[in-house]
Amino acid sequence: MKAVGARLPRYDGVGHVTGRTQYVDDVRVGRVLWAKALRSPHDHAAITKLDTSKAESMKGVHAIITSADVPRNVYGHLEGLGVPGDEPLLADGEVRYKGQPIAVVAAESEEAAMAAVDAIEVAYEPRPALFDIRTALDPDAPQIHPWGNVYPHYGPYNHRRVRKGDVDAAFDKADFIVEGVYRPQAIEQMPMETQVALCVPEANGRLTIYSCTQAMYFSMGVVAAHLEVPLNKLKFIGGTVGGGFGGKVDTATDTICALLALKSRKAVKWRWTREEEFLVSSTRAAWHIELADAVTKDGWILGRRTLTLHDSGAYARFSPYGLTKHAFHHSGAYTIPNLHFDGFVAFTNRVPSTAMRGFGVTSVSFATETHLNRIASVIGVDPWELRLKNANRIGDTTGNGVALQDPSTVAVTLAAADRVGIELGAEYRQMDSEPRTGALLPEHLVAQQRLNAEAH
Amino acid sequence: MAKHRGRGFATIEYPTGMNQNGDPSQAWIKLKPDGRVDVFSGTVDIGQGSKTVHTQIVADALGVPYDWVTMDNTNTDSSAVCTGTFASRGTFIGGNAVRLAAERVRERILDIASRELEIDAADLEINDGEVTAKGSPQKKINVADVAGAATYNYGELISGSSTALKPFADVNDETGQVEIEPHSAISYAACVADIEVDDETGEVVVLKMVQVYDVGRAINPTLVEGQIEGGAIMGLGLGLLENSYPEYPSVDNRGGEFGAYLGPSLQDLPELDNVILENPSVDGPFGAKAIGEMANNAQPPAIANAIHDAIGVWVTEMPATPERVLAAIQEQREPRREGKRVIFDDKISVRAFSSNDGAGFFNTDG
Repeated sequence: MKAVGARLPRYDGVGHVTGRTQYVDDVRVGRVLWAKALRSPHDHAAITKLDTSKAESMKGVHAIITSADVPRNVYGHLEGLGVPGDEPLLADGEVRYKGQPIAVVAAESEEAAMAAVDAIEVAYEPRPALFDIRTALDPDAPQIHPWGNVYPHYGPYNHRRVRKGDVDAAFDKADFIVEGVYRPQAIEQMPMETQVALCVPEANGRLTIYSCTQAMYFSMGVVAAHLEVPLNKLKFIGGTVGGGFGGKVDTATDTICALLALKSRKAVKWRWTREEEFLVSSTRAAWHIELADAVTKDGWILGRRTLTLHDSGAYARFSPYGLTKHAFHHSGAYTIPNLHFDGFVAFTNRVPSTAMRGFGVTSVSFATETHLNRIASVIGVDPWELRLKNANRIGDTTGNGVALQDPSTVAVTLAAADRVGIELGAEYRQMDSEPRTGALLPEHLVAQQRLNAEAH
Repeated sequence: MAKHRGRGFATIEYPTGMNQNGDPSQAWIKLKPDGRVDVFSGTVDIGQGSKTVHTQIVADALGVPYDWVTMDNTNTDSSAVCTGTFASRGTFIGGNAVRLAAERVRERILDIASRELEIDAADLEINDGEVTAKGSPQKKINVADVAGAATYNYGELISGSSTALKPFADVNDETGQVEIEPHSAISYAACVADIEVDDETGEVVVLKMVQVYDVGRAINPTLVEGQIEGGAIMGLGLGLLENSYPEYPSVDNRGGEFGAYLGPSLQDLPELDNVILENPSVDGPFGAKAIGEMANNAQPPAIANAIHDAIGVWVTEMPATPERVLAAIQEQREPRREGKRVIFDDKISVRAFSSNDGAGFFNTDG
């Protein structure tokens, strides 16, 4: 029997549905210490006092860590891709969002750890906060980072750009310019399993970290960087996750547990409460997208101008990457030969946003697909035919200049129309993904076809 | 006051693998002396079923029964590098890693079998755990006996390892253009949403979604359907219900528990009709592309378009809550026209909120 294509039962399914799968919180290693965090009550503030001495002397408390205990406190998850680190593991002198961790206690029970957190002496000097990305570059906007309120490292630019074709000419030539604003919201990844880690210091000096990460090697690299240790000091045990949806790519608990285990020389577990999972774990980002499409009255999309603002929250995390992916896919499943795109990662004083299912593209799919229906309504063209006409075909190029080899815009659109009984004209029903010719190769797409032929 | 039916749809595309590539997955495989197969992969199974899919790929790439294959993705000491389970890369990149490793193991099995059968390796094939001569199936040796011979006669551990990696694609920061493909594959989908809007309460109910996904090759159709249906309810949450910041951009009144955060639940699940298309990828494992992430991308615009179809208003701030739907009905806002410009939504634009007309965001070409 061939396995590929067969409806085989899930490899680990019986364990999942009978409660026998072992998740991180199910691991038993003898006595463990429990971690609890002191978190910022302010959206934006300077920390004017931080004294853990009273808390350290409390019964059952084995270790407290602050930024001073972290060998390398600032490490960016994407430093390997050239995104400089900007986020401290533990706040150092200032806090930029409500819930930002400042100190973490390891104690013999969760109650003892929480009591010690409450006994840490801390004082703040609140600063003005920024929440609306539309005002991030206003002269009077509160300043979040020394380098300003947008991520500044897209080469020499403070924004991700796409420049393709001649957008001005396309807008001159258009019969209509349709403009709209789209604002997809932030949401929670909402896994059943909250963020959790257990770190066991082994007799041979290694640290074993039971992790709920979606990416064991990636998280191991992050922990090793903060601790400044080689990879053979660490062993990650994981591979089975109680829901991630992107929220467990960030290394939320592993590094803190490792530091507390090193300091206390005991096994340490940090299990976030449901409230922490909702309020201080990363969310999907909110976005602000302004589109203007140059279209002809018979339904060709000649060009598109886009301004995207990505609400990164207080720190960059994966946002610079997500915005680039957004930029690369902002023409959707269609060929648009003239593009002008500017995208900004804007900082606000909210919980840093991060990856979530569809990262960077969910937002632009919402914006562009809603916009296409608006275009159809403005020019009086059928929305199915508008899509089929402009659909990606073999050899059409993406916004960043890549010739497509196996596009299926036509196939999925026709299959959906057929399934719900939409009646299309014969010229649409018979479409396929073969390279453009005849009426489907209008003047504005000829140059693209020629350049593509030269490049390949 | 009435309920209005509407239909909307959307067609989307989504890339496989980390944007700009450079994200390796590695795997290694060894045979036990009875031919049973141990696969070591770093791919985390986040519930989507990558362990199942990888096991299926290895079984067919080797030509052995599925239940001979054991998957170990439990730790970083025995498993090799996997960049991670994100970017819809598990089936394509992780799957290619185990497939390539299995092909190397297959070569070793054929080499040992060739010596045992005294037949050229090129004239042998492996099916259902047996190595047979092409055209002369009576000349055969079981993979179990090949593994035994390797272990006890030839002193060889039959094993193989591989890396699936596409080189990093540099981007021109001025133009956003790239020289090489910055993804592994692109998948496509369409979603048709049939909805009902109550014009008195503003509530939108999704009645049915028809969803078509081109996944290149469905390695396991049941798991693909799981992604389609799980994605549908997640996309419905995005389109209609969920919001981390109910008063965005304010941070007030966030929901800190399930009872205070409106996630979708089974009662919101509409009738679902799933269609899987297989337009094979050029270089995915057995032609597979991906589905993981894109599965929640097409529903929100399909729902927004269906609301317009039902009641003639656009809701472009997500989610389409009853409050927003009612406000849109009340305002009946028409686009502003300036010459050939047709301008929707200017009241929520950057220029409407910025104290300096959004100068920092516009005029980026100087």
